[in-house]
Amino acid sequence: MKGETMTTTDAPTASDEMESLAAQLRMPYTLTPGWATGIFLAELGRHRLIGSRHGDTISVPAQDFSGTSGEPTEGLVEVAPVGALQGFTTTADGTLGLVLIDGTDIPMIHRLLDFDSETLQIGARVEAVWSDKPVGSMLDLAGFALASSSESFSPRAVPGDLLPPVLQVDYSMTLDYQHAYGPYYGTLFNAVKYDRRLRGVTCTKCARVLLPPRAMCDVCFAPTSQWVDIDAVGTVQASSIVHIEFIGQRMKPPYVYSEIVLDGTSTRLIHMIGDVDAEDAKTAATPGARVRAVWSDRRTGSLTDIDYFKLIP
Amino acid sequence: MTETLLRHTAVLNSAHTLLTPSWSDRQHIDLISEAVTRALKGTSLGINDIDFVIDSGSDFLDGRSISNCGFLGAMGAHHKEESRVEEDGLWSLMYGANKIASGAASVGLIIAYSKPSESDVDAFWTSLLEPFIQRPVGLDQRSAAGLYAQRYLAAAGLGADDLRSVSEHAWAAAARNAGVDVSELPTDDAFWNDDFATPLRRSDLSRPVDGAVAILISNAEVAASATSRPIWITGMGSAIDQHFLAAREPDTFPACEVAAKSAYRMAGGIGPADIDLAEVSATSTVGELMVLEAVGLAEKHHGIDLYRDPDQSRINPSGGALPADPIMATGLVRLHEAASRLGGRPGVEATDARTALVHGAGGFGMQNHCVITLEVNS
Repeated sequence: MKGETMTTTDAPTASDEMESLAAQLRMPYTLTPGWATGIFLAELGRHRLIGSRHGDTISVPAQDFSGTSGEPTEGLVEVAPVGALQGFTTTADGTLGLVLIDGTDIPMIHRLLDFDSETLQIGARVEAVWSDKPVGSMLDLAGFALASSSESFSPRAVPGDLLPPVLQVDYSMTLDYQHAYGPYYGTLFNAVKYDRRLRGVTCTKCARVLLPPRAMCDVCFAPTSQWVDIDAVGTVQASSIVHIEFIGQRMKPPYVYSEIVLDGTSTRLIHMIGDVDAEDAKTAATPGARVRAVWSDRRTGSLTDIDYFKLIP
Repeated sequence: MTETLLRHTAVLNSAHTLLTPSWSDRQHIDLISEAVTRALKGTSLGINDIDFVIDSGSDFLDGRSISNCGFLGAMGAHHKEESRVEEDGLWSLMYGANKIASGAASVGLIIAYSKPSESDVDAFWTSLLEPFIQRPVGLDQRSAAGLYAQRYLAAAGLGADDLRSVSEHAWAAAARNAGVDVSELPTDDAFWNDDFATPLRRSDLSRPVDGAVAILISNAEVAASATSRPIWITGMGSAIDQHFLAAREPDTFPACEVAAKSAYRMAGGIGPADIDLAEVSATSTVGELMVLEAVGLAEKHHGIDLYRDPDQSRINPSGGALPADPIMATGLVRLHEAASRLGGRPGVEATDARTALVHGAGGFGMQNHCVITLEVNS
């Protein structure tokens, strides 16, 4: 490839192509349960079930607003931690039941604990099973088991020592993905990994060379066809010197972030310019500056295989 | 023929990619551009004739935020008005049809896409749940379907075995449908008989698939010159139920009934007796029965009667959502299937149906419902 900036070759065969990219999204949250649900959660730690009154209906867990009318609750009540089983389902993860707490009108869904095929019956009397170590979450009520006594009481006024609501529930969601590269990105990253070059593709209408390659030209919505080999040498179109730190950075600030038009392409590639002093970059890494990729020792098949671009003196 | 406001909006053409459990060698953009290219093909319209693009997908499923921004080129939306609807594509169609009916635009492209194979589908469904009360106890899409099923079957006087006629019809129809990756009825004994979310078996739950669908819609003026057989959108309606699953009706979908009534009313006061063909979405067999009852095609608790004749072709002739559920695109695929049949397009079985009802569902445990009615000139 030395001495050439553009050649055209056949696309690699499918067997050469990289197939997928593992990715993960981790989202930390601080969730706000609000007044009624917050009190419900707080009181679980004291082994008490708090419901809410909505006209003639009593709802547990307590809710700020009626699910049907949207009207605010008329107040909280304490309900007995016992009820009757209205329905259930068993999956590989366990059994969930619809439990109608005594004196309430809307069932709640929770885990059923220690039932067998004989005891798991609609109408079965159940009682709350409490967690030993309450943390202010729904699982402070561990679930429901067969009732051991016939004790119960009608919904009554909340106790005088009602706890303030749980204000915040910390929550984290982690989602894993396996993203298919598809034939176009697969071809590109395959070339990056094994041949240390990039590959673009030509729009059949406007003849622009698109990097990353794709089936259709974004602008013309015409199909692309001709593959083009691209040497990782180009011209800076714009630069920004980054001084702030944030998660996901590959270089320690200050560093230079640039839009680069690689020779033979019509699109802009975002990458970093390295091996230059931040102060000098203000005058050196300006539009029109020529740069060449410095390839890493790693071969991951992604654009991080280019450590950075280096200014060509 | 009924004269309604929405007789001004027509489906000109539509297409979808093969619906298959895993398009492991295609990106979203590859699937989307294939669907859009095929929807435009054979019409006299090109991408420059499209006034707007409205699309449906899920950022959670796609694994990126505002994922439509990365898909614009594949959708043909460069420098066009584009909107994303985080619901099934049928809601996008409703949005687009309203734009055209209002006179604000002439031609629109409605797109929906899904690659559930790239992520954990159970986690996706659970992510729809409020996180304080329902999510921590382990409620998920499977157990929600199981809880509905137990109560529905008891109320209808049916057993789990009775549901087999629903899933067998679905898979047999899908096997005849070239657009769905099914060659024959599954023969796996565990699929049909093992408990999955009691009383349901695996065969009672929809199979997630990858795919993209694109629908080309226009006003009457464009339709007159672009096609000899426009499919008119005559009625539309949508309604949403409560979020808390336990607070919803145990064995009916009242929100679906409201959506259907709205569509019938808009279509000039038609009713289920005027519907020749129905394409409905459901994430379970029991869900499918409850939808058919809610839209009035069967009496309450008698949806199963529609499947007594295994060769019936009025309900989900495509196979419906059970064998092919491209989550977020499922309802829009139903619209494509109905329009293909009303339009007598090549590749689908011939029918003398002139009217169709299309249904899409969204949200956790089918919380949200959208109903569209279609009609073709006789």
